Amino acid sequence: MSGYTEGIIILLCINAIAAMGVSLLTGFTGIFSLGHAAYMAVGAYTTAILTVEYGVHYIPAILLGGAMAMIVAYVIGVPTLKLMGDYYAIASIGLGETIRLILENWQSLTRGARGYPGIEGYTTLYVSLGFFAVMAFGMFNLIHSRFGRAFKSCRDDYIAASLLGFNTARYRVLSLVLSAFYCGVSGALLGGFLSFIQPIMFDMIKSTELTSVVVFGGLGSMSGTLIGAAVITLVTELFRPISQYRMLIYGAVLVIIMVLRPEGIMGQYELGPRFFRMLKNRFTKESSEKEGEPS
Amino acid sequence: MDTFLQQTINGLSLGSVYALIAVGYSLVYSILLFSNFAHGGFLVIGGYICYFALKSMGVSIWVAGFLSLLGAGFSAVLTERLAYKPIRERTNVTLYLLIASMGMSIVIENIFVIVVGGRFRALPPVIPTHPVHLFGLATTSAFDILSLLAAVFFLGALQLFLIKTKWGLAIRAAAYDLKTAGLMGVNVNLLISIVFFVAGFLAAVGGIFLSVRYTLYPQLGMITIKAFVAAVIGGLGSLPGAVVGSLILGLAEMLTAGFISSQLRDIVVFSLLIITLLIRPQGLFGKNISEKV
Repeated sequence: MSGYTEGIIILLCINAIAAMGVSLLTGFTGIFSLGHAAYMAVGAYTTAILTVEYGVHYIPAILLGGAMAMIVAYVIGVPTLKLMGDYYAIASIGLGETIRLILENWQSLTRGARGYPGIEGYTTLYVSLGFFAVMAFGMFNLIHSRFGRAFKSCRDDYIAASLLGFNTARYRVLSLVLSAFYCGVSGALLGGFLSFIQPIMFDMIKSTELTSVVVFGGLGSMSGTLIGAAVITLVTELFRPISQYRMLIYGAVLVIIMVLRPEGIMGQYELGPRFFRMLKNRFTKESSEKEGEPS
Repeated sequence: MDTFLQQTINGLSLGSVYALIAVGYSLVYSILLFSNFAHGGFLVIGGYICYFALKSMGVSIWVAGFLSLLGAGFSAVLTERLAYKPIRERTNVTLYLLIASMGMSIVIENIFVIVVGGRFRALPPVIPTHPVHLFGLATTSAFDILSLLAAVFFLGALQLFLIKTKWGLAIRAAAYDLKTAGLMGVNVNLLISIVFFVAGFLAAVGGIFLSVRYTLYPQLGMITIKAFVAAVIGGLGSLPGAVVGSLILGLAEMLTAGFISSQLRDIVVFSLLIITLLIRPQGLFGKNISEKV
């Protein structure tokens, strides 16, 4: 396999892990965040500092990066998740930018805006595939568990959910913390892939991209999220030669999807028997309608 | 004391420019209940129209300013017609509008990156920036005083429009309940277009002053995040709240820059947001929304 293909597969895994995290929060719990790149930054910096300065092995360092993102998310989430809808979205922009600015100004720890060089290139093909497989397995099990149903109930009607005895505030924080873990690990892998990280890599544009991938794939569909992450990553690679048009097309695609098919590629369906049954029903219904037309 | 007075005037001037942007954003929010992230795009459109009218048409600042305000207003209406109307006619899920507006903001920004290039441009010296001595107490630039006056003028005009005219009444009614306003015979589509026109118009005023202050570049629209923060601090959908929030933000930013460090000003802005939301989640002037079950 050539180095280029390998690089793309690694990038696919990294983006997919982050997208799964955001999907849990936005698609399944209904909390719209525009600051998730900050958790990637926390994970990336923690792992980079641990491996470079303390010589920690990369696997515990990556997990600790994820754990650090979880801690930050918990501290932030408990007070701010009281906010609903657009208020939280704006607050999350503020939080994300604040974390980025702190990383940029904390010269002694993060070396500031010039970036953090010399990270060991630990993200090989097998490491990224392994992390992706384990985390995807965990996520698909999570959304079909008791917790997954609780998250969905918070999304669909949090008043009804709390009347049924779910502690919605706790589930919202839990969802944020888990999604921060996924983003933290993804950021840590990104650091190992590029060997260099910089606060500006984790700005609001990156956060927007994460959320749009989830919307593109379908809010409330984990397999849709994976398809969305794959499509967006590959399209980004494809348009690299005409990179100045890349963002334009990207924005236009976002608008067009919202206008034409706001539920995303997969809607709320997972790639499985139910989805194919739905497709089959739709096609048989359409053909029977067509047959009925002439009469 | 000198520095304090000077930074206060600068802060009020910056805050009043934020207010122009925040009011338009808040106005759209009060009608359609979504955060229009493309609002920054209107500001950039206004700035570039003004720049090219001055550079290549050689007109005076008054004509250029007028063209820029109209242009930004109409592009706001166009944005609404192209991107938001099809969505709001189909569903009332405001999340879709939010995402579409993020897409539009990326589109507008990158149209400018491709067409005019990403470099920084300075507006020709049409707005005086020479220093002014205020009664021997403080020295400030004429530009700061002019932008403060312009903001007060346009905000006053907006207030008159909302209170004295028939369409103003319709907009205030729609802010309470868009559907009922429609049932009472208000042409809702026209009303939404007018609201977007006003929002774009005011954003362009802010855009011209910001591009004199910070030079003009396609990413200038990102500065609207501060105006959003101001609107949230004041309470989303409340116009007086947007103005007060903007002034607080402008003052906080300039006083931090003057007395602590200019690198910390953004952190102070966002901490103000978080603190406000923790103490008073609905913002200073926001309605306390309790959902009916």
